[in-house]
Amino acid sequence: MGLLSPSRALWLAMFVAGAPACAADWELALDLRAVSSDGRESFLDNGQGKLRFDEDHQGIQLGRLRAAWNQPLGEVFSAHVEASTWDDDDKNPIDLTEAFLEYRPYPRGGLRTRVRLGAFYPPMSLESRALGWETPYTITPSAISSWIGEEIRTIGLEGQVDWLGTRLGYDFDLQLTAAVFGWNDPAGTMLGAHGFAFHDRQTTLFGRVGAPQPDPEFAKKELFHEIDGRPGYYVGAQARYLDRAVLNVLHYDNRADPTARLPSIRDLAWLTKFDAVALRIETGGGWTLLLQGLDGTTVIDPGFWLDWEFDSQSALLARRMGAHMLTVRYDEFNVLFRGDPLESGSEDGNAWALAYSYDSGEHWRFALEWLRVDSDVPARVELLGEPAFARESKVEFSARYSLSGSF
Amino acid sequence: MSRRDQESPFRWITAAALVCLAWCCGVQAQAGSLTVTVKQRNDKPLVGAVITLETPALPSASPIAAIMDQVNLAFVPDVLVIPLHSKVLFPNSDAISHQVYSFSSARQFQLPLYRGKTYPPVVFDQPGVVTLGCNIHDNMLAYIVVTGAPYFGRTGADGEWIVPNLPPGKYSLRLWHPLINEPQEVERTVNIAADRDVLELRLSRDLRPAPLKGRPHSWDY
Repeated sequence: MGLLSPSRALWLAMFVAGAPACAADWELALDLRAVSSDGRESFLDNGQGKLRFDEDHQGIQLGRLRAAWNQPLGEVFSAHVEASTWDDDDKNPIDLTEAFLEYRPYPRGGLRTRVRLGAFYPPMSLESRALGWETPYTITPSAISSWIGEEIRTIGLEGQVDWLGTRLGYDFDLQLTAAVFGWNDPAGTMLGAHGFAFHDRQTTLFGRVGAPQPDPEFAKKELFHEIDGRPGYYVGAQARYLDRAVLNVLHYDNRADPTARLPSIRDLAWLTKFDAVALRIETGGGWTLLLQGLDGTTVIDPGFWLDWEFDSQSALLARRMGAHMLTVRYDEFNVLFRGDPLESGSEDGNAWALAYSYDSGEHWRFALEWLRVDSDVPARVELLGEPAFARESKVEFSARYSLSGSF
Repeated sequence: MSRRDQESPFRWITAAALVCLAWCCGVQAQAGSLTVTVKQRNDKPLVGAVITLETPALPSASPIAAIMDQVNLAFVPDVLVIPLHSKVLFPNSDAISHQVYSFSSARQFQLPLYRGKTYPPVVFDQPGVVTLGCNIHDNMLAYIVVTGAPYFGRTGADGEWIVPNLPPGKYSLRLWHPLINEPQEVERTVNIAADRDVLELRLSRDLRPAPLKGRPHSWDY
């Protein structure tokens, strides 16, 4: 593609941001965990376990160390950078999850355009609404949000048009989004390798998913690369009723050429398409209902056609009572491998999560979560000699200290 | 006052003073008061409703200088009622930046409010409701009601608004509230006489849902 590489674009953003016109806002957050888990060997360690912290990763763990920087560049431009470390054998000790320039002119006649250039998340998870693309409802996001954080990133250009009806006396706002992107051709690799998982560990732009893959026959799990020179796209729409309800739909297609290879990461271009829908309803009594659905396919063609169908549904109910919040969530997830049945990459599972969180003042947030994932993964039999069915549970306590300010 | 009294300047002055006193007393005796009670459809009082009383006989109230601040990612106050030609200052008490805008027909403007930077006040010369937003924080919402009325105010916790010493006459009363959901503008003609007038208004529809409270500002809107 005749576009800048992600690293060059990032340096350009840094350079432009180096001449600030206005005060920058910054955030820092340290999230420590205490974990009790009976999880199988984690997908992060190339296993078939569904959890970030498995049986061998209990006790005190680093949840996330996060630093964010928002730099206004004049009135309508701004730069945003999110850096994190997860301490999970990552390729880089500190790496970026998002870095983009935003153009956000003032609205005119009820319409506002917004343009983002760089690396960021597509607008689809109504769950990941807290700072750093985290979910405020639980410690561990749904299967859908976990997968988006793991494999999907827009590295490209996104345009949005908002119709600000609530500023014109109506009860509704509408938004249309379209984006063109590259460097996400390996998206689908992890679905094919281990299916869905439940974790809050977002893959970094220059990193990989978890520990190195020692087997030279398997991909390196570095997901943000351009392989075939064909840009992908997504289009989406969002409707809001006041500040009470949001409905979001998105169609994503990375338009990858499934025959293209990139030997340096031992991976192919995965032709991944999906539709995502999410509905969030909040009431004045502190209740939140969040429904999410994802349905897609991913295909590779290393000389023979291999394709996977995947889908997931999630329902979350939360009740906020002042600084306290209680959440219950149910997830279903399925991957159906339609190639050689002996090399099955299929799975079928569900999960329950129960969480309590407490915001103590401006800086501290404490959360406690119980998560149980039941999954039927035939690959466990073939690859690991384990039973296909696994019930994995964990109890996790999170203490997060955050700071923010301007300079 | 008779023509004979005008013959002496002293008497004339005395008479004039008496006439003035009589006129003033007469007006005071004739002035009415108006108590407006606004109820929601469910009979609960409507708090914070904006009421304006206009009459062609009286000019707009004198312009004022008012403040619309940004505190903890919210406009303070959420509703500001000002006479025509008033000036409103937009400070920013937050540590972070805001970009205040309005594209309402009554007044269109935009202000980048960075910390420690002040801007001249905005003057509002057209009557109407000006909806304020922040271009950075979409959940911020407030209203400035600009009125040419000589009398205006907001209902209290009991849904009442009282105007004492109201010159008799025919007034046009208008009611507005950020959450009002009536099919048409609420407007009444009120004849004020030299006594205590009482007007009760009851909305025909439920209010629109109020903005959610207590949701952390750091969450996506």
